[in-house]
Amino acid sequence: MSTNIRPLLSALRRNPTGALLVAVQVAITLAVLVNAAWIVAQRIEKIEQPTGIDTRDTFEIDILGLSKRFEVAQAESEDLAYLRGLPGVVTATATLGTPLTLNGGDTDLARSPGTDAPSLPANFLEVGDQGLRALEVPLVAGRNFRAGEIRPAGKHTPISEVIITRSLARALFAHGNALGQAVYEDNNDPLTIIGITRDFMGPQLGAPAYNTVLLPEMPGEGGFYGLLVRARPGMRATVLREAKEHIGASHRHAVIAETMTLTSAKRQFEANNRNMAIFLTSVTALMVAVCCLGIFGLTTFNVSSRTRQIGTRRALGARKRDVVRHFMLENSLILAAGALPGAVLALAVGNWLTARYGLPRLDLAYLAGGIVVLWGTGLLAAWQPARRAAGIPPSVATRTI
Amino acid sequence: MLRMQDISKIYRTDLIETHALRDFSLRVGQGEFVAVSGPSGSGKTTFLTIAGLLENFDTGTYELDGRDVSRLTDDGRSRIRNEKIGFIFQGFNLIPDLDLFDNVDVPLRYRRMKADERRKRIESALDLVGLASRMKHLPSQLSGGQQQRVAIARAIAGDPALILADEPTGNLDSLMARQIMDLLEKINDMGTTIVLVTHDPELARRAQRNIHIVDGLVIDSPPYEARESQRAARAGTSPD
Repeated sequence: MSTNIRPLLSALRRNPTGALLVAVQVAITLAVLVNAAWIVAQRIEKIEQPTGIDTRDTFEIDILGLSKRFEVAQAESEDLAYLRGLPGVVTATATLGTPLTLNGGDTDLARSPGTDAPSLPANFLEVGDQGLRALEVPLVAGRNFRAGEIRPAGKHTPISEVIITRSLARALFAHGNALGQAVYEDNNDPLTIIGITRDFMGPQLGAPAYNTVLLPEMPGEGGFYGLLVRARPGMRATVLREAKEHIGASHRHAVIAETMTLTSAKRQFEANNRNMAIFLTSVTALMVAVCCLGIFGLTTFNVSSRTRQIGTRRALGARKRDVVRHFMLENSLILAAGALPGAVLALAVGNWLTARYGLPRLDLAYLAGGIVVLWGTGLLAAWQPARRAAGIPPSVATRTI
Repeated sequence: MLRMQDISKIYRTDLIETHALRDFSLRVGQGEFVAVSGPSGSGKTTFLTIAGLLENFDTGTYELDGRDVSRLTDDGRSRIRNEKIGFIFQGFNLIPDLDLFDNVDVPLRYRRMKADERRKRIESALDLVGLASRMKHLPSQLSGGQQQRVAIARAIAGDPALILADEPTGNLDSLMARQIMDLLEKINDMGTTIVLVTHDPELARRAQRNIHIVDGLVIDSPPYEARESQRAARAGTSPD
């Protein structure tokens, strides 16, 4: 088989346009296929991973001030006092950022200051000292925020302590204990890690699912804050109804912007990931199909334009399977010519996704799998026209037209 | 070498049947140079396609080089074509994207021959047709006569027992046609049997034996035994 490669290559070199276009198509498709498959795998993993928080008993009410007369700090304080005194409530905290949703923020944390320092993306939640309890997330090391460490709403005093998840701690300090270490957001002052929690999913923005950092801060920027409430088992619906009625009526210059149970947030989170996986799978399948159409089209064209040549080969002794093999080998070479730059492109895109969106580094098994899938479907696309070529009778060689 | 007995070939469409060959019988001996001629539509090309195992026939028997090839499988026919028959076509049928070396190499590759042996045969065949120095050229860089010489090199490289030439000079001017015929005679003198299909009486006269076909029937075929005397006549000596 290998002995047939040289004349095939030299023939392709002399007539490269069609093959080159298909090879470029293969390269782009491979890069998309591999990275899309990797992203889909991450999305599916996210759906299957435990959230690490109490979604069954927890809900959030978001308050939005409508005028400058809305006293955020005072309103927050009153709301929390009311909620904590409500029968059926375990605890409540003010928060900016809703776990499992796109409400919140993300940041980059580094082990040293400066914009050039290598950093890791992390999603953050602003919470009070009852944050961990409201989420029912236990500490695995260190301590919780103290009341005095929480920055009041509307103040701009520096924050100097943070609590992070175990995954983030391991990612930041792979070879040592993160507790007591300092991390940095750009050029800001050091943030000391005072506690490490069991892994849980904060807001799901650009960072990996479990890369969460808790900031000791009462939100209120722009007159907006959230109230995260954990009810006693079975009491959530009642508590939510009562809280909504009371808070809705108690603020003259604010409204309830949104209420959401974390059960529905989780459902939405799963749906988002599932939809993204379906979308990426569909788009990728479409790209693979278009690529296969290109291969099919090129092979069909080659068969049509080489009818006499195929007849001549048959007359000179080629068996039907030799003709099929000829076209399969030719397409293998085109696929290889596309797969090689495609693999480099896939790795480059993977690296960019890692650097830009904190996606885990591309698993090379996905690259190998992508090559096998594209190779297989590509050859499948060439199979039918190759079989048709094999059906060309050798007597065609004697026809003068 | 070639023995056809009562071969019939009918082409059928929805409306008509065309009897291309009727009870066609022919015997060609080892080392003969036979010309098959006849008017257009007489069945010359059908004879060639059947003799070359390019098509099946409906009735009759066909022996090639002592072997009954009437009922071979497709693969079996391919193998016989590859090993026993060399084809020379009117339109040369060279593969335009391959250089001369690779063109001559095509049938040898299908024979799964080793690279060294192939190279030796290709160089020798191209040398015989006077194109050894141009083996890296493409067919498009050659004249028609040169292309036909490459096709002849391709036909003889596999050392076939029989060469079937289908109007090999049909696309050439008279000078080139003579050169091609000289070459075919040279190859025949080396012992290879040649069957030349042509409508040109002048070319046919250069063969040792002429077979005339009309309406799929052999109407004039000097006996096979006349071969030796014709050969002697061409050499200018008495057969006795």
